[in-house]
Amino acid sequence: MDYTFQYGQVWPYLPYLLSGAWLSLQIAFLAFCGGLLIGTACAAMRSFGKGPLLIVVNAYVIFFVNTPQLVQIYFLYFALPDMGIYLSSYMAVLIGMTLNAGAYLTEIQRAGFESRRRSEMEAAEVLGFSRLQQVRYVILPHVAKVLFPPLSNHYILMTLGTSMAAIFGVEELTGRALNVNSQTFRSLEVFSVVALIYIAVTLVASVLLALLGRYGFRAKMRVV
Amino acid sequence: MAHLELDDVSAAYGTFQVLKGIDLSVARGETVGLVGPSGSGKSTILRVLTGLLPPSSGEVRVAGDVVDYSRASEIRRLRDRCAIVFQQYNLFQNLTVLENVTIAPTKIRGRKRAEVQPEAEALLARVGLSDKLGAYPDELSGGQQQRVAIARALCLKPEILLLDEVTAALDPELVSEVLDTIRGLAAEGMTMLIVSHEMGFIREISARVAFMAEGRVVELGSPADIFDNPQKERTRDFVGKILRH
Repeated sequence: MDYTFQYGQVWPYLPYLLSGAWLSLQIAFLAFCGGLLIGTACAAMRSFGKGPLLIVVNAYVIFFVNTPQLVQIYFLYFALPDMGIYLSSYMAVLIGMTLNAGAYLTEIQRAGFESRRRSEMEAAEVLGFSRLQQVRYVILPHVAKVLFPPLSNHYILMTLGTSMAAIFGVEELTGRALNVNSQTFRSLEVFSVVALIYIAVTLVASVLLALLGRYGFRAKMRVV
Repeated sequence: MAHLELDDVSAAYGTFQVLKGIDLSVARGETVGLVGPSGSGKSTILRVLTGLLPPSSGEVRVAGDVVDYSRASEIRRLRDRCAIVFQQYNLFQNLTVLENVTIAPTKIRGRKRAEVQPEAEALLARVGLSDKLGAYPDELSGGQQQRVAIARALCLKPEILLLDEVTAALDPELVSEVLDTIRGLAAEGMTMLIVSHEMGFIREISARVAFMAEGRVVELGSPADIFDNPQKERTRDFVGKILRH
């Protein structure tokens, strides 16, 4: 191989790429938080609810878990305008990722809710805990501990999943990488730098989440 | 006056009648053992006495006070007076040993932490767990967890302690440490109702033993009466089976 690496051509774009990475993080964070809210509400519905609303929730989860995320965003971006709803590419990606996350986080959290231990609740009851006190002191800490690791994993996956936004012209990390690539034509250099940025971002997030999980929620997580 | 009295108590899970007219009394400071085959209703009696299962008929009296199961305040009062220790310990897995013992007195009863903590530490010392205060339940052996559960029940200063097969889930070599703890309580005059399959232990510790089958107290008497000279056919059959192995 007689390829000469010329990272010198890419370095000037580093700040540009890093601010793209910042946007990736923002999208992932916002979509995750939105998804967490939707997921918590829907998981509560699936665990405890009944009636027509439950059917709607089930249909939502089945639809979003069983179709590609890319198709979901395409739908929001290209199909909704036919119905008179226009979303910017950024909003289409954000809403698409939020709805997708909501469906996955519903499933994850439902498993957590259902792992609550009857025996501990019974012990709490005979010790005089009210329903609300049972939720606060027994159920929530347990559910948080059980749910923290899979939620963290999903957050990391979503951080990487933001690269899909590039397809819609959002200038996050991958989108900006494409721009730099088309200006420099140093693909090997550009994408290796971008890969390293992704690795750095997800590793830092993994370590922080594992530390929080281990010391905040007593979840069994390995730090590094 | 008996400390604890059940007067013709019946109870059901749905339509399945588990207790069919139980009459039983426990005097203050007395230890009564409940023995009998699985499904005879032994544990159900303890569930009734902690308000987890309201009786369908009959009367429960604690120190003469009739318990009105339709009132939440009376159920709370019942739970103040009767504490239970479960077969599976049922410790709060997200709390340390010390927190397991102090949570109900502090968070539920609203007592001061500074006041409860020394009591909890003394109780845990008494069950031999002074060095495990900061440990979590999943770091303890079954016998240690069961002793934490006993300390947790005692920290609420109950008048009556109900023990539901507290050694059944333990390895044989861990049984004796739990039994020693219970012996100590009996010696101090705690009123206790004990469900157990440890016949040797029941015989040693109980002032009286009730043999139960099919939701009824078949025979009630001193340990010697029940184990050596049972009067009823059903009791003889049971005692014969357990003494054969």
